[in-house]
Amino acid sequence: MTYPAAADLTLTAAIAATALPLAAFAVILLLTRGFPRLSAALSIAAISVALVCAGLLLVRHGHLETPLEYSTLWMAGGDIVVRVGFLIDPLSLLMLMIVAVICFLVQVYSLGYMAGDPGFARYYAFMSLFAWAMMNLTLAASLLQLYIFWELVGLSSYLLIGFWYEKFSASEAGKKAFVMTRLGDVAFFIGILLVLLNFGNLSILELNSPRAGFLPPAVVTVSALLIFGGIVGKSAQFPLLTWLPDAMEGPTPVSALLHSATMVAAGVYLLARLFPFFSMSPAALQVCLAVGAVSMLLSATMAMVSRDIKQVWAYSTISQLGLMIMGLAAGDYVAGVFHLTTHAGFKALLFLCAGVFIHACGGNDMFEIGRRGARHLKIPMICMIIAAAALSGVPPLSGFFSKELILAALAGRPSPIWLAAGLLGAFLTTYYTFRLIFIILFPRGEAQAKDAHADGHNSEAGYRVMAAPLIVLAAVTGVLGFGGHALGRFLLQGFPGPVPGAGHPTWLPFAALGATAAAVGLAWFEFGRRGADQVGFVERVEPLRELFRRRWYIDDAYRWLLDHVLYRVFSAFCAKNDQKVIDGAVDGLGGSMAAAGRILAVLHTGSVQFRLLVVSVVLILLGLYYFVYPLN
Amino acid sequence: MNGWALFGPELFVFGAALVFLALCLVKSPSPRRDFMVALSLAALVVVAGLAALKAQGTLFAEAYRVDLFSQVFKVLLALGLFLVICLCSRLNGVEARHHPEFYLLLFICTLAMMLLSSAVHLLSIYIALELSSYSLYVLVSLRRARQMAMEASLKFFLVGITASAVMLLGLALLYGATGAVTVHELARILPGAADRPLVQVGLMLTLCGFFFKLAVFPFHVWAPDVYQGAAHPATAFIATASKIGAVAVLVRLAAASEESGTYLAHALVALSILSMTVGNLAAIAQKDLKRMFAYSSIAQAGYVLIGILSMSPDGYAAAIFYCLALLVMKFTGFLVLVAVAFDGANIEIAELAGLHRRSPLLAMALMTSLFSLAGIPPTIGFTGKFLIFNAAIAQGHLPLVLIAMVNVVISLYYYLMVVKAAYLLEPALDPPPMQLPAAVNVLAVALVAFMVVFGVYPQAFIEMARFAAAALLK
Repeated sequence: MTYPAAADLTLTAAIAATALPLAAFAVILLLTRGFPRLSAALSIAAISVALVCAGLLLVRHGHLETPLEYSTLWMAGGDIVVRVGFLIDPLSLLMLMIVAVICFLVQVYSLGYMAGDPGFARYYAFMSLFAWAMMNLTLAASLLQLYIFWELVGLSSYLLIGFWYEKFSASEAGKKAFVMTRLGDVAFFIGILLVLLNFGNLSILELNSPRAGFLPPAVVTVSALLIFGGIVGKSAQFPLLTWLPDAMEGPTPVSALLHSATMVAAGVYLLARLFPFFSMSPAALQVCLAVGAVSMLLSATMAMVSRDIKQVWAYSTISQLGLMIMGLAAGDYVAGVFHLTTHAGFKALLFLCAGVFIHACGGNDMFEIGRRGARHLKIPMICMIIAAAALSGVPPLSGFFSKELILAALAGRPSPIWLAAGLLGAFLTTYYTFRLIFIILFPRGEAQAKDAHADGHNSEAGYRVMAAPLIVLAAVTGVLGFGGHALGRFLLQGFPGPVPGAGHPTWLPFAALGATAAAVGLAWFEFGRRGADQVGFVERVEPLRELFRRRWYIDDAYRWLLDHVLYRVFSAFCAKNDQKVIDGAVDGLGGSMAAAGRILAVLHTGSVQFRLLVVSVVLILLGLYYFVYPLN
Repeated sequence: MNGWALFGPELFVFGAALVFLALCLVKSPSPRRDFMVALSLAALVVVAGLAALKAQGTLFAEAYRVDLFSQVFKVLLALGLFLVICLCSRLNGVEARHHPEFYLLLFICTLAMMLLSSAVHLLSIYIALELSSYSLYVLVSLRRARQMAMEASLKFFLVGITASAVMLLGLALLYGATGAVTVHELARILPGAADRPLVQVGLMLTLCGFFFKLAVFPFHVWAPDVYQGAAHPATAFIATASKIGAVAVLVRLAAASEESGTYLAHALVALSILSMTVGNLAAIAQKDLKRMFAYSSIAQAGYVLIGILSMSPDGYAAAIFYCLALLVMKFTGFLVLVAVAFDGANIEIAELAGLHRRSPLLAMALMTSLFSLAGIPPTIGFTGKFLIFNAAIAQGHLPLVLIAMVNVVISLYYYLMVVKAAYLLEPALDPPPMQLPAAVNVLAVALVAFMVVFGVYPQAFIEMARFAAAALLK
């Protein structure tokens, strides 16, 4: 790898961007925990510098012919080489920028949202920890390094979901998220080991190079699927999807940052990162496509019956991540990454708006929020409508363009079922989105008495601090869609994988728009128009509503598996083995050792004469040994 | 190089001892003043040792050799002295009027060990050894709890003079058989005289004097009583610094007798196994923390012996490295002991209950030091044991290493019992949180960091030990 003359500045910027949040984390935890405002200032200062560095990197390397890699040897043994360092290419630069921007905006927003919380400094420390881990994940040059930060991101997610740890449901949700994502991570790690054993190298560039094509196809498929297991966990895809809605127990800015825009998107990012590698195995891509489609549809149905505003956006996140995975798996790299980018913007915006409403109205129930006059909060209401329209794919907002690209990629598949799934997904998405919008815009009935808790936080300054990031994100959502072509060109520089063929059936945009329009119309008929009873068509069918509300009984299935298989059979066996075999052996051994020890200790309590006698005997034996030992 | 400059650190320590001799004569006792003087002088000793690290030459008609090997050990000794004096800020196990004497003996003993690490003439070795032993006999007896201290001191003395007598017999046999008076002459003559019983047995008996210092079986019998009977800082000194000098001279003698046949190696293997096994098994039954430390020291001496009996440069380097590791690990244990036993009395292991709530930092320091003693990665104790076992396997001592590993597992049992007491047992009545001086906290953090950081990146110290071992063989 040759280093251009500009290498130094690039490296400095990369190091600064990835190291400063860690420094902020350490300083806050060790020194400034008692000073909330100072802690927040430190954290925001660190992320601002990181943002500037990310921008600088993006500008410097806007035209990057070949990926830059700075790496140093970390471990080498036999045929196995593990390097660590930074990998700078269009994809990592784009993701770094997304992470830095959203982190920055969310941290500013949190100044208002978290004001007065007793754990204010701790909150900013964890936010910095997350920013550090996420940025390192983005720039990681080898799979192992990526995995380390992947786990650290998971840790910060656990800490932030359970941020209000006095609340039982919050700490439970943190645990659930941790355990469920860990299931996927185990598969991921086995996949990494498989790659290491067969390929002898974990460098992402090497894996994506044609050299990896010499691996046996079965190895590629199996390791790709195992790595995809990690993606399923992190991006909350089927069947590991139920942790994400529960993760909404964390503070809303955390949901906006981790559980919609960046951390859960890390799974999709990994898929894009290893896209050329995955492309070597059509079978693995087919599995990804199916998992993406199932997750997208299942979670969309769950969103249709939820009353909790954050839960709706959480289901929507799962659904959109599924859509991105479908886009990538259908072979369109640009479409998937483009949707990742636009989604980060509008989904963060949706969560931040929801945060303002929750803050103002003191509850998560969308009917209650509507009744308490959320529509009078002009800025968040307008921003939320913009973001919702983008999510639904209404032109000319960003979501329209990126969704269009993905649908075009799906249309290119031989089987029409994927396109049908995509269009159905688009319909359902629009339906549940506008269901929520109409419920909040046109409330029915009287608000219940406000509790004192809600009013406590309603300060004007806090509101203004929270509004600023909303406006920025809304502007981004408005214009980002037009950058699609430029983004595509940027991403494809030096891209080693297959480039999808352009062109899609001309009727496709009309079909998509038709689905959107139909869904908005249905939502209007059921929730918006005067005299609508605000009960959706799904909610009228009791079994269907129950099925969706119980999340297709996925959690119940897990519970059953835990109770009947894991606890009753497996744990019982292990416990018995532990008690009877291991404990028995250890106790026996320990008992005899302790007895021997007591005997020896008795030997040592004798008088001095006795001890000196022992010394002499040993010396005589040693001396005698000299005359015996030549014999043997 | 100028002879006086070569002798610099020793002269400085001697001067410091004279300062305390003068302070002994001052009527009014002032523990604070004595402590501050001792602390600053000990810090200067470390500086002097470091300044003379690169010194090289011989003194006193070839009886005294200054090389990298001896200088590294002098730095370790100085460090040990400094650390032990750090423990003396509240020296309430010793009466205030005896404090100057206490420091005087510490400095004299350090001086003797420094002489020991450089001495190459058999007689100067003997005299240095006796000087260090006698100062320790008195040091042990200085404790406020007179009866226990006198008993311990007397046992120490009786075992010590027996060992000295045995050693003198060995020296006489060796001299009679070879006519050699310095270690280097011995190294030259031994290969030709290896088959003579007088030489072999003489060598074996000569080493007994150092086995006594190192508390190797069968000369370990003083250790439990002395550890228990001496004041805490004195015990810490005996457990850490006083072992270093013995290791230095043992390594020197072993290097000289590499060519003397296999008898010596066989005998050392037997003693090493016995030390480890007896130490570890007896430690299990202990209730008193200091007695437990004593038996643990006996077992650790067995591990050190494995490095020495490998009789290879790697083995010596491993022994030197492990010496440094032991110094830090054991000292950390004593730091916690002194902090917990604030009134200077002995404590039982069970009295550590609830330590993690009274002082999380100390509990962590204790845990790290015990894990390190037990050889759990990533601590420096693990690295040290790894080096020793590696060197021994390279010399074909696989069965010995296997026995040592079994012993490591046994030792884990009683180390974990202490950790359990500190972390899991609930105290009968809730003692208040401990108020520790900031210096103790800083020291504890530094020691823990040292044990972990240099357990992960030990390269610098391994290099140093290799260079020192190489200087030995020149």
